Parts: sequence; structure tokens; C-alpha cells
Amino acid sequence: MPAKLIVQGLSHHYPDEYTGESVHALDDINLEVEDGEFVSVVGPSGCGKSTLLNILAGLLPYREGSVTVDGNVIDGPGHDRGVVFQEHAILPWRTVARNIGHGLELQKVPKGERNRKVKEFIDLVGLEGFEDRYPHELSGGMKQRCAVARTLCADPVVMLMDEPFAAVDAQTRITLQEELIRISIATKKTILFITHAVDEAAFLADRCMVFSRRPGRLIATVDINIPRQDRNWNEMSSNSEFTRARDQILKLVRGEVSADEA
Amino acid sequence: MSIPRNIAMALYRRFGRQRLRRIALGSIPFIVLITLWYMNGIFHWLPPVFIPTIYSVFEAIFVLQEGCAGIVEIVALDNNCLMTTNIFSSLGRVVLAMLVGLPLGIGFGILAGMNRTVSKFLEPIGIFANSISGIAWVPLAIVWFGVGWMTTLFIMLNTIFWLMFFNAMLGVRGISRTYEQSVLTLGGSSWDVITQVYLPGAMPSIISGMRMSMGFGWRALIAAEMIGGDSGLGFMIFSSAEEYKVEEVFLGVLIISMIFLLTDRYLLMPLEKWTSNRWGLVWRPA
Ligand SMILES: Nc1ncnc2c1ncn2[C@@H]1O[C@H](COP(=O)(O)OP(=O)(O)OP(=O)(O)O)[C@@H](O)[C@H]1O
Ligand SMILES: [Mg+2]
Repeated sequence: MPAKLIVQGLSHHYPDEYTGESVHALDDINLEVEDGEFVSVVGPSGCGKSTLLNILAGLLPYREGSVTVDGNVIDGPGHDRGVVFQEHAILPWRTVARNIGHGLELQKVPKGERNRKVKEFIDLVGLEGFEDRYPHELSGGMKQRCAVARTLCADPVVMLMDEPFAAVDAQTRITLQEELIRISIATKKTILFITHAVDEAAFLADRCMVFSRRPGRLIATVDINIPRQDRNWNEMSSNSEFTRARDQILKLVRGEVSADEA
Repeated sequence: MSIPRNIAMALYRRFGRQRLRRIALGSIPFIVLITLWYMNGIFHWLPPVFIPTIYSVFEAIFVLQEGCAGIVEIVALDNNCLMTTNIFSSLGRVVLAMLVGLPLGIGFGILAGMNRTVSKFLEPIGIFANSISGIAWVPLAIVWFGVGWMTTLFIMLNTIFWLMFFNAMLGVRGISRTYEQSVLTLGGSSWDVITQVYLPGAMPSIISGMRMSMGFGWRALIAAEMIGGDSGLGFMIFSSAEEYKVEEVFLGVLIISMIFLLTDRYLLMPLEKWTSNRWGLVWRPA
């Protein structure tokens, strides 16, 4: 079976209106994500991670290279690729339930079926009792949970996540990471998760892709061979595979940074 | 327990302490003004030709409505019921101008907010139109449309449309792009983005545009009615002033501010409560 997500020879330049020069953000990216795989992407700040995600989401037009999802070439946003953004990920003028059901509403799914699915995802992310609250009444962690449910409920083929837990406190982040693992087991989604936290990248993913400094290049892929159901933070500190993968990723990222700064 | 204390407790229970405090705070300036006005009637600091007594202003209602044969004539806008006829005439014009101006202004404002071509096209003419304040158009409007409702409508639309246009445009520009992107990636269309992101997201701005439209729209209307109208509160105030009936002028001004306060209290504030406040879009001091 061919991979879910295939990126071939993808490069990106941002034009600069003022200087006339262009910013070279991505350089010749080749990668594949298999069905049901959880892949994380790490790299120094400004290396083009968000650029890659925006291209995959269809929010940013690209000219060099090709990107396909399920064999379809990407040219614009579509509900086959769900995105969880770092901030402003849910609409303030919709209640939790209506945010989660938003994708189904846009796809004109009948109300009865919609409500049933919304309920299912509210339970999945543990937001029972908050169905009719507005986002400004939620904590940061609850907002991101709602955002994850909102994207999942639309049943995308691929989930794209751009540092979704970066803006929450450390304790909440750990909880959200474990919850995401549980959700990924329950829904069997293909996930591409962008982060700059090495721990997070190693904890969540089956495979971690490390990017170089700008222009972003894929410099290495690190496999993390830990079954998904064994991933919880209590065990990780004593798990040699996790420690090995994390140290390897860290070395790659830091080597990249210092090599460039020298 | 004493009677005043009982009354105070009953008021607390009815309105709540916070609301009562707010109502009391807001009323103080009015109470001061009315007291001063009342005392002027006793001490005659300023003669009644400048400041009529409260009672004579009250009396003016009956002078203006003299010969009014009741509800039928009031509704028929008969000239025997001068006060109500002029009120309804002005109100009708405001409602008409709002019905036309608000949707048009908001619609074009949203378009200009999301599309640079539209904004480049409309912004300069809008700044030009805004620079000529509403009332400066009156002479020209009279030449074009004559004295009457077309002139007043033109003047008001000129004010309301551009206010709503600029407010809606800025409102849309202030919305985080992520909201729009999230709707697109859930499979939404541009129309979905307009109705589900731009319109609600620009609501705080749109409501403040409505406030300003009410304010400047009324002012423009009163001015237009004074010069280029054949009825309405502005017309009434102006003709009364020509006949030195200060109490009618006062009455007219009071009615205008009353209508103004009521629309703000019973239309705009509920709208605000149901949208921006409920969604947590605006910061409110404690
Ligand atoms: N709209 C834009 N116009 C011009 N240059 C841009 C634009 N967006 C990003 N860039 C540039 O492209 C490069 C990559 O940006 P990108 O946002 O993809 O980085 P990132 O890896 O997501 O960084 P971070 O970890 O800080 O989020 C940066 O140098 C940035 O300055
Ligand atoms: Mg980024």
C-alpha cells in the first residue's frame, strides 16, 4: 500500500516585498508518512516547520516539488487534512459542542448524526459538562483539547498539528501528550506533529524527522520503537529506547544549531 | 427595620447590588442637571426666554398635540398632533436609513477587509466622503432632491454607510487569520468564512460602528431636517426657535436624547451582550 502522505522535492521561497530578495524556507524535502503512523518533526526555530505544515494543509501555494495525500495532489485546503493550530484554534463565537461539530456542519452531515459524533468526541477528550460553554470560559488546556476534538470530529485522513501544546503549562502539556497517544490509538489516525520540544517529539512519535536550520532540510529520521500503549511519562524516564531516541534527536538538533552558529 | 432600609433591600433583591450601583452612578449627572434646571425655575439665574421651566416644557407637549383627536390621528401622522407626527417622521427616516445603510456598509466593509482590490478602490473615496461632514452636503442635496425625505435619507446614508464601512473593514482586519484557516481546513467555503468568521469576529467593531451611526446619523438627520426638511424633530425645533418658543426647542432636544438613550439601552446593549460579551471578544473593566 502506498504511503498516506508523500512529499517529493519540495522547496519553498517567500518573496520579500521590501528588499526584493526571497527567503529560502524549505529545501528539497522528501518524506513519506504511512497510514496510521505518528510522525513528529523537530528543528530549530525558523527552519520552515510551519511552512511545511501550511503547504500540506493547502493554506500556502507551492511551486517547487509535489505533495500528495492518498494519491491526490494538494492544491488548496480540504477536509481530508485536519489542522490543529497552536493558538486561536477554536472559534470564540461557537460553544464547545458547536466548535467540535463544525466540520460536520460544513460537510452538511444531518443534525442527529452530528450530535451523536460530537458527544463521542466530547467524551474522548474529556470535556463532558462543558458542551455549552464558550472558549473564553475554558482553560488553555481545555481549549487545545477542544481544538483536537474539533479537527478529529471532521474525520480527516491526515492530522497536521503545529506545536499544539506549546502555549499550555508543563503539567497540562504532559497530560495532553498522554491523551493524544490514547486518542491516536483509539482513532488510528495518521498524524504529523510539529514541535520544537525534543522530549515531546520522542514521546509521541513512531518516527521523528529532524530539520536543519534555514533553509530547512530533512537531515535525519529517528525511529522510536516503543509500542503506543506503553507510552506514559511514568515509565519513560526508565525506558532505554526512549532515552536513546531522545538523546539522539537532541544531539542532531543541537549539532545543527552549533554547526551553523560557529 | 426602617422603611428606607426595607426599600433599599427590596431594590437590591430586584436588581442586584452591582447593577444598582451602576444605575445609581449613571444617574448622578442627570440628577444634578435636573436639579440645577429646577432651581433655575425658582431663582431665575437665567431668564425663561433662555431656560424655560420644567413645567412649561411639559406643557409644550399639550400645546403641540392640541386638537389631536386621539390614536387614529397620531398614527395617520396628522398635523394636529405635531409632536408625535414629527417624532414618527424622524424615527421613520432613521429606521429607513439604518435598514439601507447598515447592511450595505457592513457588506462592503467586510469585502474591503478581506480583499485588497476592493479596499484600494473604496478607501480613498470613503476618506473623501468622510472629510465632508454630513451637514455640508445639505445645500447640494436640496438642489438635487429638493426639500424632503430624499434629502434627509441621502445625508444620513452618507454618514452611516461610510461609518459602517470603515468599522467593518477594520474589524475584519483585526481577526486572527487562524480562524479563517481553521474553517477552510474543515472544508468551509469563502462564504462560510464570511458568515462564520468575518461577521462574528468583526462584531465588536460593527457594534461600535452602529453606536457611531446612531450618534452621527441622528445629528445629520436633525441638521438636514432643520435646513432641508418639511417635517421631523429637527424641523420642529427649528420652526419653534424661529418663533422664540424655547420650551418647544427644549422638548425637541429632550425627545431626541430620550430616543437615543432608549435605542442604545434596548437595541445596541442587548446586541452587544448577546455577541461580543458572550463570546468574550471585548475586555470589560470590573
Ligand atoms: N509569510 C512570510 N513571509 C516571508 N517570510 C516568511 C513568512 N513566513 C515565514 N517566513 C520565513 O520563513 C522561515 C521559516 O518560517 P516558519 O514559520 O516555517 O518557521 P518555523 O520552523 O515554524 O519556526 P518556529 O519554530 O519558530 O515556529 C523563517 O525564516 C521566516 O522568517
Ligand atoms: Mg512555526
